[in-house]
Amino acid sequence: MSVAELEAAEIQLEAPSGLWRDAFHRLIRNPGAIVGFVFVSLFVICAVFAPLIATHDPVEQDLLQVANGCCPGPSSEHWFGVDPLGRDLFSRIIYGARVSLLIGVVSVGIGFSIGAVLGAIAGYVGGVVDSAIMRVMDVMLAIPGLLLAIGIVAALGPGLKEVMIAVGLANVPIFARLLRGSVLAQREADFVTAAKAVGIRRPTILFSHIIPNSISPVIVQGTLAMATAIIDVAGLGFLGIGLQDPDETPEWGSMLTEVNEYLQTAPFLALIPGTAIVISVLGFNLIGDGLREALDPKLRGR
Amino acid sequence: MLRFVVRRLLLLFPILIGLSILVFVWVRALPGSPADSLLGERTTPELVREYEERFGLDDPIYVQYWKYVKTTASLDFGVSSASHRYVTDELKERFPATVELAIAAMLFSTLFGVPLGFLAAKRHGGFFDHSSLVLSLIGVSIPVFFLAILLKYVFSVRLGWLPSVGRIDVTSEVEHPTNFYVLDAIITRDWPTLKDVLRHLVLPAIALGSIPLAIITRITRASVLDVQNEDYVRTARAKGLPPHTVDERHVLRNALLPISTIIGLQTGLLLSGAILTETVFAWPGVGSWLRDAIFNRDYAVLQGGILFLAFVFVFVNLIVDISYAIINPRIRYS
Repeated sequence: MSVAELEAAEIQLEAPSGLWRDAFHRLIRNPGAIVGFVFVSLFVICAVFAPLIATHDPVEQDLLQVANGCCPGPSSEHWFGVDPLGRDLFSRIIYGARVSLLIGVVSVGIGFSIGAVLGAIAGYVGGVVDSAIMRVMDVMLAIPGLLLAIGIVAALGPGLKEVMIAVGLANVPIFARLLRGSVLAQREADFVTAAKAVGIRRPTILFSHIIPNSISPVIVQGTLAMATAIIDVAGLGFLGIGLQDPDETPEWGSMLTEVNEYLQTAPFLALIPGTAIVISVLGFNLIGDGLREALDPKLRGR
Repeated sequence: MLRFVVRRLLLLFPILIGLSILVFVWVRALPGSPADSLLGERTTPELVREYEERFGLDDPIYVQYWKYVKTTASLDFGVSSASHRYVTDELKERFPATVELAIAAMLFSTLFGVPLGFLAAKRHGGFFDHSSLVLSLIGVSIPVFFLAILLKYVFSVRLGWLPSVGRIDVTSEVEHPTNFYVLDAIITRDWPTLKDVLRHLVLPAIALGSIPLAIITRITRASVLDVQNEDYVRTARAKGLPPHTVDERHVLRNALLPISTIIGLQTGLLLSGAILTETVFAWPGVGSWLRDAIFNRDYAVLQGGILFLAFVFVFVNLIVDISYAIINPRIRYS
């Protein structure tokens, strides 16, 4: 073989490494990320398999349990105890995961799809379009997150759909800024110039080349946005403007609303839903942080 | 310097206008006519007609908007449908309570966060460093209202060390000229009341300040770590300066720069967190006021309150930006 062929063969013998493979290896070596993954898996499994895991019907009231005042604590029949209306707390927690997961995923999806498109267009087209879009985003960011969601829910009315839209819209400016920054950074890159030179049209360049390259910060932001969404939904539920009928659909935040009266006699009524929220949110935060470190291109090849 | 300030001020106006448009559209998006929303349920046809005239609800939309801008600029936010008092009056009463709470929370988070972050960076890789990271991550993951409930449960219900509701003992009949209870107590040298007020302030301030504390700790740590590796620090050490002088004069000063920008963001967290914290502790501030307004469908209050809070947020950020430019000359000339 010639020297060239030998060298070519040699190069092929090195393990192929790409951003994803490196990232994955860094990720599994990060203890925080592993813990986060466990928490999130727990959360997702509870949400998805709720009917199989829950021991009772979450909305079925058994007033006999609270006939002697509130509230019997954990027992062999009711693993987490019973709430003031006699409903099994364990089942309510499990079904509550369902609500949180659903709202989290949908609202982050809404925020990402609208925000990313707007931000990418703003970054790529530039000029007046950029200014206009970013001014609107600035105005949305001028209202602190929870207040914005509250305002939207107040206008649209309470309900599952409305909460998803509200939390979703609150996420739009964040994704918009993210994508705009990413697109701005890549606009002058060589591969873009090459694509333009070959004659690929601008929208195609944007959507098929630039946006896929912006995936990593989007994934990181997506997981962190999930964490924030769960907290915001719980906050809305706590304030009493979340879902239409918190008695029918258990939601962790609304479970913490009337807890004040029972703090002395039945603290577990507050501690258990709250801990559920903390564990799920912590899980997403841990994974998000782990991903951020793992996907940092500055660490490539390490 | 002046050019920078002017430039920032000019940027302010589009945002304020945008905000006013947003709220304007919002009121009209509410179910029912704006007059119904703003006046509440128990109105009379005369009141409704008067409102419609004042706000020109029969006029074309830009006339309506102009009338809205005029009334808002004169600080007339209408009348609360729940209490039948002027929104502006209620706001004047409620705002000092929230400001006191926010300042206390900010003090708490900065006074603890900066040293913690600094120490974590100094002992990089050690147990303290790792645990501070874990704790700040947990801090960001706990919803403010849950932490508030936890604090209330542990320190009020179980240990009985601190009061659980309100700003001051219910039986107190002290006067409050400025409505800033801490300030009033200091001015009148009323030490027992001061102690009482401070005791009421502790738990809500800790709850509200928990998330900023976590963030400030992390950012301080990252910032100090960055600065410590800079050349000028290495030079200072090589010169033979004692370590703590190096820390004070070079490391700390430069590390604190990014932190001041974060403070602007924290205000947003404090404002939205206030709604939740004030509800748990029955703190009579803007937060619980808004929460009651949501419950009572008191849209006049909601409109005025949200607009006001957003303005406050924008102004605080402006001040933070300007002071950052004063501290960091590089920003001024960019």
